Formats: sequence, C-alpha cells, structure tokens
Amino acid sequence: MGLSRNVSLPTALRYRGPAGYLTFILHRIGGLGMALFISMHILASFVGGGLGEFLNAVYESWIFQIFIFFCVFFHAINGLRIVILDLFPKLLEHQTQAIWIEWAVFIPLYGFAVFTILKTAFGG
Amino acid sequence: MDVTIKILRYSPEKDERGHYETYTVEAHENDRVLDVLELVKGHKDGSLAFRRSCAHGVCGSDAMRINGKNRLACKTLIRDVGTTLTIEPLLGLPIKKDLIVDMEPFFDNYKKMLPYFINDDPLPADGRERLQTPEQRARFDDTTKCIMCAACTTACPSYWANDEYYGPAAIVNAHRFVFDSRDQAADLRLQILAETDGTARCHTIYNCTDACPRGIQVTKAIGEVKMAIMTGKV
Ligand code: FES
Repeated sequence: MGLSRNVSLPTALRYRGPAGYLTFILHRIGGLGMALFISMHILASFVGGGLGEFLNAVYESWIFQIFIFFCVFFHAINGLRIVILDLFPKLLEHQTQAIWIEWAVFIPLYGFAVFTILKTAFGG
Repeated sequence: MDVTIKILRYSPEKDERGHYETYTVEAHENDRVLDVLELVKGHKDGSLAFRRSCAHGVCGSDAMRINGKNRLACKTLIRDVGTTLTIEPLLGLPIKKDLIVDMEPFFDNYKKMLPYFINDDPLPADGRERLQTPEQRARFDDTTKCIMCAACTTACPSYWANDEYYGPAAIVNAHRFVFDSRDQAADLRLQILAETDGTARCHTIYNCTDACPRGIQVTKAIGEVKMAIMTGKV
C-alpha cells in the first residue's frame, strides 16, 4: 500500500520550476483565456438580446481587453519560441536566454497595447 | 548553526494522508541535506525513512523535493538552500513511506525503451571491440550520464498528469542508444517513442533539465529524439 500518485493543482503550482515553468503556466492560461473569449463571442451572437449585449459589454470592456491581449500576445510569442526551439534542438541548450528574449519582445509589445487600450478608454 | 527541517511524513499504518513534522538539528553550512536527514534519523526520530546509498551523487537513490525543487540530498549543501528546509518526496510516484516513493512505474517506463545494446552482426575480425570515432561517441555522451534518480521525470508536469507518459528519464536513456553508431535498433526505439505516450507529451517546459543533478541537457535530448522521429534520420 502507498499514498496515491495524484498531484493536485495547488501542489503542482507550488513546484519551484525554472523560468520555463512560468511560461508553460502562462501559456495554458493564455490558451484558456482565448477559448473563453471565443466562446463568449459565439454565445453573444447566438443568443442575442439582453444576454448577448451583456456579454458584448463584458468582452469589449477595457479590463477584458487588457486580459485578452495578454493571452493572445503571450500565447503567440511563447508558441513561436517553442516552435523555433523544436525545429533547432541545438538551441535548447540556450533555453534560458531564449526565454529572456521572449520577455524582451513581449513586454514592449504588450506594454504598447495596454497603453493604447487605456488611452482609448480614458483619453478618447 | 541550527537547521530547521520540515519533512512530509507518511506511514501507511498510521496515516490516511501525509503530515508535516518539524525538527531542529545542529549542522554546518558545508553539510549536505543528506547529513541533516541522517542527524534527524540518528538523534530525533529513528522512524524517518529515506533512501540513500553512495552519498556521493552516483547511485541516484536520494532524489527528493528540497524547498520545492527536485534535488539529490547528497549533492545539495545547506549553504546553498538555507537553514530552513522543507523536504518532500518526489511528485507523481506513489509514496510508500516518508520520503520513499515506489520507483516501479518509473523503471517500467525505462524498460519499454529497450535500454540495452542491440547489434546482431558478428563481432569484428579481432573478436574484440566495435570501434567508433570520438565524434560518434560525443553524439550521445551527455545522455550516458543518467543515474536513474527520477528527478527529471517527477519534475515533469506532463508526467504528473499522466503516468502512461514514458517521461524524460526513459527518453534520455533511449537517446543514449538511438544515437550510438554501434547500435542497430534505433528505428524500433523511435517507433515506440512516436506513440501517443512518447515524445509528443513533452511540452518543452524545462523542469527536467533544471532538476537533473548530472547537468544533462534533458530537453535537448528529447528535442533531438523528436527531430529524429520527424525526419527519420539519426
Ligand atoms: S545517495 Fe547515491 S546519489 Fe545520493
């Protein structure tokens, strides 16, 4: 007899992995975020009426826009990094540097998007 | 100096689930985590169970979670991890007692890789070695270093989610033979690894590479195997 092998989500999240573990988690959140956005979008046009308008208002709000831009940009850039590394396994030796480059690309790009969203929301 | 060590204890006779116990022992900053565990077992609580054998990072017995990451207790110095320690068993394998996990599922995956030399050709004329160049040897040098401690496999979220996945250690050991110029069963191994529970479950997370006490470029080895499956070339 022994204690089961199951690893709960909180236990898994407590594992102190390297930089790649954080990007892995954010990649999953990004994917789920996009799935949520698309389902809301489809549902809104499908049901229409009051509920449709409410859903529209949710995903058009600036807070949701900031969230969904994070999901899309991060998922895309991180995905690109993984594709490149998968195609050139030799580069996997420099995985940590690759992740730094990824952040260096992501932060200005996302920063600019957030800036534009906020400017439109508050400045007009 | 005083070292405070919190250990996840589990005894199948007494516990439904594990519980933490904290001990304080006197140790030196150049002591290893294994020394501290020995002090706890010798002076505080003889019922504490953990595996160890060589105590020099060779046998691969004492991989465990030290402050949240997989490390070998015998290669981790107190001065590198601090004087407040949390020690837990490896994740994703059933716990038998305290820090001892059931390694059988891990070895089963290893065996699926045909981890032995396969070459049915008759021996060379001199009846001795099958020669290879230093370059051919270098091709798989990194993956010969594996000590089967399971630190990589049990650091892998894909393995936590699904123990049918062969796991990084098995793939590393397959790599060792796939890229050996003297071996003739690369195709067979690549076929096994191309299955659903093979390399496709690797999401390039790098937890394995970070956890390896031998510094093996685990993710790179898996990447090379993935490429070999795709191109059919080794
Ligand atoms: S006791 Fe042998 S590797 Fe640590």
